[in-house]
Amino acid sequence: MSAPASIAVDKGGRRYDGELLWLVVFAVLLGAAMLGGICLGRLSIAPSQVFDSITRWAGGASAETLEERIVLLVRAPRVLMGALAGMGLAMAGAALQGLFRNPLVSPDILGITAGAAFGGALAILLGESSMVLIGSAFAFGVLALLLVGFISRVDGRSDTMTVVLAGVVVAAMFTALVSFVQFVADPDSTLPAIVAWLMGSFASITWFRVGIATLPIVIGALGLMLLRFRINLLSLGEDEARSFGIRVERERWILFLLVALISGGVVSVSGIVGWVGLVIPHAARLLVGPDHRILVPASGLLGGAYMVAIDTVARNATAAEIPLGVLTAAIGAPIFAILLRRMYYTESRR
Amino acid sequence: MRLKKWASGLFGLMGCAALAALPALADPVTITDMTGRTITLAKPAERVIVFPVPWASTVIALDGGTKRLIAMHPESKLAIEEGILGQFFPAAHDIRSDIIAGGASKGFIPNVEAVAALKPDLVIQWGNRKDDGVTPLANAGIDTAAIVYGAEENARQIMTLVATATGNADKLGMLMKWRDDTAKVLKDGLAGLADADRPKVAYFFYTTPEFQTEGKGSYMEWQINLAGGVNAAKDIDGWGAVGLEQIAAWDPDVILLGSFEPQVSVAKIYDDPILGATRAAKAKRVYKVPVGGYRWDPPSQDSPLMWMWLASILHPDRFSFDVRAATAEWYVRIYGHEPTPEQLDQVLLLDMNAKGAGYDKFSRK
Repeated sequence: MSAPASIAVDKGGRRYDGELLWLVVFAVLLGAAMLGGICLGRLSIAPSQVFDSITRWAGGASAETLEERIVLLVRAPRVLMGALAGMGLAMAGAALQGLFRNPLVSPDILGITAGAAFGGALAILLGESSMVLIGSAFAFGVLALLLVGFISRVDGRSDTMTVVLAGVVVAAMFTALVSFVQFVADPDSTLPAIVAWLMGSFASITWFRVGIATLPIVIGALGLMLLRFRINLLSLGEDEARSFGIRVERERWILFLLVALISGGVVSVSGIVGWVGLVIPHAARLLVGPDHRILVPASGLLGGAYMVAIDTVARNATAAEIPLGVLTAAIGAPIFAILLRRMYYTESRR
Repeated sequence: MRLKKWASGLFGLMGCAALAALPALADPVTITDMTGRTITLAKPAERVIVFPVPWASTVIALDGGTKRLIAMHPESKLAIEEGILGQFFPAAHDIRSDIIAGGASKGFIPNVEAVAALKPDLVIQWGNRKDDGVTPLANAGIDTAAIVYGAEENARQIMTLVATATGNADKLGMLMKWRDDTAKVLKDGLAGLADADRPKVAYFFYTTPEFQTEGKGSYMEWQINLAGGVNAAKDIDGWGAVGLEQIAAWDPDVILLGSFEPQVSVAKIYDDPILGATRAAKAKRVYKVPVGGYRWDPPSQDSPLMWMWLASILHPDRFSFDVRAATAEWYVRIYGHEPTPEQLDQVLLLDMNAKGAGYDKFSRK
C-alpha cells in the first residue's frame, strides 16, 4: 500500500520557520485554554481572585475559603489533567498514524483503548485501588496491542490494513468483555461506577489522580518526542526504513508501548475519551505538514488546548455535566467522516 | 354497568385517572393500564409478577403479605432484603427474581419463558419502552399491565391499578386518604411561607463516582416542594451528573443523600473539602433518606412518611410530627406488623443521621 500523499516525509532540507510559528501559536492556544479553564466555572469567581489564590498557594498557603478550594482543588487539577490527557492522546495518535502510514489510525482503533477500558472496569469490579486500576488499564492496553500484533503478523510482517482490521477485532472482543463485567457488577455500587467511568469525565479528578496519571503520560510523551525522527523514517515503509539501518519491528514495538503507556494513563483516570487522538493530529498536519519532528509536539500542544476547551464546555454549558466522550465524538465523528471521503477521492484518482 | 360507573366516579373523586373495575368477588376484573390497554381478568389476580422496582412492595403492602407476589425485579428484592420488609415477611427472601432477560440483575427486558413458566395471572411492567418490555409478554399471551411513573398522580394510578387487579380496593381507599390528608396538613402548615424561607435542598441518588441529582419534573422535586423546600437542581431536566463546583455554586441549605447507596455515609459530604464548606454541611443539615417498606426517595405506599420526615427537617418550626410514632402506627395498618424500636431506628437511619441538626426528634423517647 502506498503512503497517502499527505504523509510524505521529504522536506528537502527546507527550514521550518512557518512550522515553528505554528508551534508558538498552539502553545499560546494551550495557555489561553488553561487560563480560561481555571477562570471559568459554575461558581463565578473573579479572575483577580483566581490569580490571588494561585499566588498565595504557590507561596505555601493552603486553600482557606470556598472560592480558593474550588480554584485549587477542583479547577486546577482538572485543567492540568485535561491538558495532559489531550496532549498525550494527540501525540500518540500522530505517532501511530505515521507508523501505519494511515491517517485513520488512533489508539481507539488499535484496540488499546478497549483493552484499557476492560482492565479498568475489571479493577473497579474487584474493588481495587486507583493504583491497581491504572496498572490494570495499562496491562490490558498492552495485551490488546500484543494481540493485534500477533493476529496481524503473516510471514513475519504486518500489513497495514491487516493491523487495522485486527485492531477492530481485538477492540470488539474487549468491548464484549467490558459488557460482561457490567453484567456481573453489583447494580447498586460498582455498576454505576463502571458506567460513569466508561463515559469519560474529568469530574472526579483530584490531585491524587493527576499524580497517578502524570508519570505514564509524561514518560510516553517524552519517549515519543525522543523518537519522533524515527517515526519519519518508519513512515517511509519497512524496506526504506531498513535501508536507513532502522530495526523496524523493534522500533515499532517501542512506539506501541509508549502509546499504550499514554492510553493506559489517560483511560485510568478519565475513562474513555475518544476521537482526540484521531482528529487532532489531522488538524495539526494540515497546518504544520507531515514532518513528525514538528507534527508530534504540534499535535501535543493542540490536543492539550482542545481537551481543556472541551472540558471547560462540559462543565460550564449546563448545570449537569455533559460526558466528555459525547462532546469529543460529536465533534470528532463528522471530521473523521470528511477525512474518509477525502482519502477515498485521493486514492481513487491515482 | 351502573356499578362500573359508580366505581369510576369514586376513583375519579380521589383524583385517580386510571380506570377502575368491578370490585365484586369472583366477578371478572377489568383494568385499563397506563398506555390505554384494557385487560380483563377472570378473577382478581392471585399470581402477580412486578418488574418496575418500587411497586413489588406495593403488592405486598396491599395484600399485607407475600402470597400474591410470585416474582419481582432483582433490585426490588435487594431493597426488601436490605429494609424492613424482609424482617416483617421472611418468606419474601424466597420470592424469585430471575425474570430479566439473560438472567441479568438490571434492565427491564423480560425473560419471557421464565415469566411464562411461573404462570402469572398478571405481570406489571414498565411502559416507557413498550415494544421491548411489554410486547414480548403480551405476544406470549401473558396479561401485562404497562405503567409509567414520575409524578404523584402516576403513583396513585399505579396503586389503584394494583389494588383493582388484586381485589384490595378497601385498603387502597385508606392509603389514598392518608396521602390526601398528609398532603393537606403540609399545605396548611406551610400557608403564608415566603419563597425566601424555602430552604434550598440538593438531593443526590448516587454520589459515586459522580454526584447524580434529580431535576425539573422529578418526583423528588415534587416531594421537596410539598415539604416546603426548593430543589437546588430545578434548572436540570430529568436526571444529571453535577460537579463539585456546581454544588458549591448552589450552596444548598440541606443535602439529602439517596438510599440507593447504602454504603455511602453523610461523612462523605462533611469530609469533602468543597462540600464540607456548603451551608448544609456547616449547619449539620446533611441527611440520608430512610428505607422503610420501600426506599423513601421514589414514590410508594410509604410516601406520606417521607413527606412528614422531610417537612420536619425543612421546617422544624412549623411541623411537630412524631414521624417515629406515625411509622409504627402505619406499618401496623399497611404491613400488619409493629416495628420494634430497633427496627424503627433502622428505618430512620438513626446511627448515620443522629448527628444531623434536629434529628434527635426522630430518636426513641
